[in-house]
Amino acid sequence: MGTTRLPQPFTDIEVFVADWSLATQREREQKRAASTAEELKLVYRILLPRVDPMLEYLNQYSLDKVPADAKRLFYLTLSFAEIAPFVECYKGEPRVLNSFEERRFIAVHADRLA
Amino acid sequence: MATAIFDVNKRWSEEYPELGTDPVPTEPCISAEYFELERERVFRKVWLYVGRQEEIPNPGDYMVRDLKACRTSVIFVRGQDGTIRGFHNICSHRGNKLAWDEAGSCQNFSCKFHGWVYDTAGQLVGVPDEEFFHNFDKADNGLVPVATELWQGFLFANVDPQPSQSLDDYLGAWGKRMSGFPYGELTARYAYKTELKCNWKVALDAFSEGYHVNVIHGQSYPDTFTGKNNPMCHLPEVRFYGPHRSCIVYGNPNHKPSPAAAIAYRFGESVTKRSGSQDQLPAEVNPTRSAEFGFDLDVIFPNLLLHILPGMWFTHQFWPLAVDRTLWEGRAYWRPAKTPGERFAQEFNNTVLRNAWLEDTATMEATQEALSSGVKTHFHLQDQEILIRHSYKVLEDYVGFYTENGNA
Repeated sequence: MGTTRLPQPFTDIEVFVADWSLATQREREQKRAASTAEELKLVYRILLPRVDPMLEYLNQYSLDKVPADAKRLFYLTLSFAEIAPFVECYKGEPRVLNSFEERRFIAVHADRLA
Repeated sequence: MATAIFDVNKRWSEEYPELGTDPVPTEPCISAEYFELERERVFRKVWLYVGRQEEIPNPGDYMVRDLKACRTSVIFVRGQDGTIRGFHNICSHRGNKLAWDEAGSCQNFSCKFHGWVYDTAGQLVGVPDEEFFHNFDKADNGLVPVATELWQGFLFANVDPQPSQSLDDYLGAWGKRMSGFPYGELTARYAYKTELKCNWKVALDAFSEGYHVNVIHGQSYPDTFTGKNNPMCHLPEVRFYGPHRSCIVYGNPNHKPSPAAAIAYRFGESVTKRSGSQDQLPAEVNPTRSAEFGFDLDVIFPNLLLHILPGMWFTHQFWPLAVDRTLWEGRAYWRPAKTPGERFAQEFNNTVLRNAWLEDTATMEATQEALSSGVKTHFHLQDQEILIRHSYKVLEDYVGFYTENGNA
């Protein structure tokens, strides 16, 4: 329970922390690419109404001083940012349609902590 | 709020009749001979963008750029006096590569072959067993300098030992128009790169028009850069400045954000928001402050695309590696986020932008392969693809392939 704990108003979505509270872009891209459309659409549907209140809650902290529980919440919002375009633009497909080979697209900042 | 509405049905061939309307040869994209002439007459002669000064902020910081298009590797290092200098990355002793990493920080550069040492001003300061050299003066054997100058924090280099122009003169009227945008404040960088199996111009051309937007970006940016007043993403403005060029990409003022995009709008900047102030833009960029301004798209000859809009900017650069290979670098820049909300907005926008770049690059390698058959000898460019037309004309001005060789 300890390492998946989220701040109080958001304990109901702790179930997503293990899979989606990911600190680097590399992890978030890889997780999204390895998911099914059903999985992406489910996460999107559950998180969409919560993201605005999550960010309102998180904005009480400056970006460099977010405590551990809130940081897990913050990484969830970044995963939502990674997932949402695939649900909204590509019907949940985990890949861009008509795309260059994604694994050849190197993100120089892939391992940078958010 | 500005109410200026763009005229998106101008005929650019009437505004710029000197560029003509004929089909344009495909040969420059597949000819090994043309590639070598480009290397000698363009890339080894003009100012080339190599990075931002923020990449090497402190004395001793350096970055190495492997410029195959110039047939050399160059070290850019910030000296103890704060000045950034460029040097060919080669030891004066027996030609070994001096700096083997991509970037770093040092007090001196030491050659890993025999231990020769150079300081960050390029002076040779250490030669082991020096007294056994013949008539040798360290002062005459420092690193070979590369002309290096800054414009608005953009670092440019020119490997010509005697550049024909200063950087300011090279950028000319274009440089004056694009000065004053807060490039140096928007420094949070998201950078992508890949090696494309295509000629650098096939990649450059793909980003130099809006004609592809409906088809290529129909899913990533629907209804964003097109609208009822402009269904084909026509360019509201096109300008030329000697070898350089610019255009405005249309922005749909009636664009409805997706649910996630609307959240991002509430917490930070966006590529598509268009509701905020345009004060950051230089005076000559969207001078009417039309609400239909999407972003400015500029090409600095030969191979740099620079795009600006309020709150962010991004570049594409295409480095020739071979006639059919190119290093592409795509970089987006934002104001460093202070809050989690701002950081979220950047992450969402960068995901959509990255997806659009994946769409843009999807056709390039297949196009190169098809062109290499030689079956199609000409491109047919429509009026809105005039930036591509200008690119080939300027290249031919430098390369002289068709005039010199009598190739019709």
